[in-house]
Amino acid sequence: MSAVNPQSWRPLAYAGLMAAALGLLLVASFGGGGHESELERVQRLNDSFACPVCDGESVAASNTAVSANIRQFIDEQVQAGSTDQEIRDALLAAYKVDILLNPPADGFAGLVWILPVVMGSLGAVAAAAAMTRARRAGRKATDDDRRLVEEARQVVVE
Amino acid sequence: MNSVLGFGFLVLGLTASVLGTAGGAYALLTQRLELLKTVRQWTLLVGVAALGAFVVMEVALFQRDFSVSYVAQVGSWATPPMFNFAALWSSLEGSLLLWTLVLAGYLVAVLFKFRDRHDDPLFGWALVIMLAVSSFFFILLVGPANPFVSVEVPADFVEQGPNPLLQNHLLMAFHPPMLYLGYVGFTVPFAFAAAALITGRVGEGWLVATRRWTVAAWGFLTAGILLGAWWSYEVLGWGGYWAWDPVENASLLPWLTGTAFIHSVMVQERRGMLRVWNLSLLCATFSLTILGTFLTRSGVVESVHAFSNGAIGPFLLAFFAVVTALSVGLIAWRGDELRSPGAIDSPVSREGSFLANNVLFGALAFVVMLGTVFPLLAELWDGSRLTIGRPYFDSMARPIGLTVLFLMAAAPVLPWRRASTELLTTRLFWPTVAGVGAMALSVALGGRGFYPVLTFGLGGFAAGAAGRQLGLATRRQGISGLVGRTNGGMIVHIGVVLVAVGMAASASYESDRTFELKIGESVSMGGHEFRYLEPGADINDRRLRAYALIEIDGGDVYAPATTRYRQQGMIVPTPSVRTGFTEDVYLVLDGAPAPEDDSIRLRVILSPMVAWIWAGGMLMALGTLFALFPGSRRRPIDPTSLAIHTSGKPTPPSDPEQPEDPQQPEDRTSAVVGNG
Repeated sequence: MSAVNPQSWRPLAYAGLMAAALGLLLVASFGGGGHESELERVQRLNDSFACPVCDGESVAASNTAVSANIRQFIDEQVQAGSTDQEIRDALLAAYKVDILLNPPADGFAGLVWILPVVMGSLGAVAAAAAMTRARRAGRKATDDDRRLVEEARQVVVE
Repeated sequence: MNSVLGFGFLVLGLTASVLGTAGGAYALLTQRLELLKTVRQWTLLVGVAALGAFVVMEVALFQRDFSVSYVAQVGSWATPPMFNFAALWSSLEGSLLLWTLVLAGYLVAVLFKFRDRHDDPLFGWALVIMLAVSSFFFILLVGPANPFVSVEVPADFVEQGPNPLLQNHLLMAFHPPMLYLGYVGFTVPFAFAAAALITGRVGEGWLVATRRWTVAAWGFLTAGILLGAWWSYEVLGWGGYWAWDPVENASLLPWLTGTAFIHSVMVQERRGMLRVWNLSLLCATFSLTILGTFLTRSGVVESVHAFSNGAIGPFLLAFFAVVTALSVGLIAWRGDELRSPGAIDSPVSREGSFLANNVLFGALAFVVMLGTVFPLLAELWDGSRLTIGRPYFDSMARPIGLTVLFLMAAAPVLPWRRASTELLTTRLFWPTVAGVGAMALSVALGGRGFYPVLTFGLGGFAAGAAGRQLGLATRRQGISGLVGRTNGGMIVHIGVVLVAVGMAASASYESDRTFELKIGESVSMGGHEFRYLEPGADINDRRLRAYALIEIDGGDVYAPATTRYRQQGMIVPTPSVRTGFTEDVYLVLDGAPAPEDDSIRLRVILSPMVAWIWAGGMLMALGTLFALFPGSRRRPIDPTSLAIHTSGKPTPPSDPEQPEDPQQPEDRTSAVVGNG
């Protein structure tokens, strides 16, 4: 193995590893059991509603009686085959207040989704601009620079 | 007596802080540096005063001196000694007292550490700024948050004791002090940064001087946050450890900017770049500790962790505004001198990756901040009430977190200046194998889902890169290859990977179900069988604890309970957890056993790999400790970006992995110094 030039086999090895990674991700996403189980669905729903009587805790996190009831309701509805939308509508109708932990994507609340994307992009653009500007400036060593380096080198060697 | 003595110490602390600030500023502005000597004495006095006030409060708590307002609020004869000691930081005024003690401790430590630089204006200004911060906290303690108010004890006085949630677990004794050591610790680098701006010495000197202070503060903050998560897991009884609650977010914000800082600061040390950015990050970190305290202590944001609100909100907001305005003003004032002498050559380089790291951490900090304050903004905008919780934060933080994991793999193998494709493919080969291997293993063990499996893969990739660096370092330096900033940092990285993997697994594969059980009945869930053996009770004069004995898989017996604290009448669940390497079985009682037939509602939560989070946290703390020791490779001020070889031949741009090439001496700079 050591006689083989790594340059020759490495691209092939990388291609194999990338293919394996992609295949594994596909299996993980769509393979057997990849579909959300009932328990996982209950968990996700419990996480997405706020406990109506607490300060911002989710139904999953809170130990109040109301939350325990909502958890039980979600569990029963999932087992009865209700869709997420049906469960959501039923809970919103029952509790009248906004118990969604996920802010809506429209209106003023939509900003909470858009702003991070805008700011993140601006940051990335700023970082990229900083680098391209630096490169475009073309900082080639001048004769003065070379003389300085040579002088410094002499000092150290002596 | 305690009231008078304690308040006396607070007044002494305030006086010493204000006089130290004023005297120091006067001495520095008028260039009469000999006057700085008195500032040192005032500083020591601040230390004495803060310690004195703390001791008096502890004595009052142990004497149950209910004529002291704070003791009347949180003291009780029923509280056991350890929780009574910790009761000092169980409410607002006491927390501020602890904060002030920690700040005074840092002040005295800085005074001692820089004892040979006492005439240095940079040090002088840093001390003045810390004393100004200390003045602010003493003002709070003497004014709106005075814990030593003398009160009449009414004849029908009922002892309260600390909030039951805060006297339920040992971690309460460690989590807040650790967190405060972190929060307050950032005052030191902030003070030196501001001092550098004031004196105009904006080079790298102040950075090198405060490097360890920053890393230590970061380590304390990390440990504090993770201990808080652990406390939440062990006490709150919902099987989770992080709820994106405003108080949690408030602690995460300075951690994010602090983490960005300890990475980008290396670019400045090495290349002299990003000066304005680093100063801004440090000022932001310090301001965010104040803003976080404001958000969670003023009552503007509702939170389950906000154990106390007081009248200090406007003070904290004003202080935040002053700190921010001064920081921005100073940076703008010195703008010209802060212009970087260098530039980044290529995005595929160590400095390029640190820049990307900063964009990501900045974006995450923005998301956390926005999600925390957005309900407030929405209410101000159109009166609408909305709650922003875990689904929002998860969906925003996940892509950022995954990209961070990717960077954690790539950055450590990148050299400074620029990297060739060949070098990258060589160095990243085994980390890539580790990453794909981790994915294969997780899929083979039944792991499914795009995000969790991708997290395991990127985690393996990042751990592979960190392991590679540690392997190289220990191979050439033996056991001392584990210390120093780079190597300690790699241990921290492995800890981060464990935390990320634990979080991904427990969040994705957690299952949660509630069962009604009568004595003798059993249920099964997730391959486990749970049998309800019998109820029980454990009563003392502090609390009534009703528990149910649950046998898991015909073996060990666990006893989840609900505890009713007599004084507060509050009922808190006390979960019982079987911790394991691959899975935690978390049992919570939903209410006490029913009086008529002893039936219970048992909530069972199966959480895979939660223990990895705590193990990762310990590794992060250990790595931070190792990073504080000087590494053997180079001194921070040695030039390395353009080292000069003894033979006179120029060497290629600096690369942390040069010893891989046997032609080069291990430490070129020391070779130069040795022969020069």
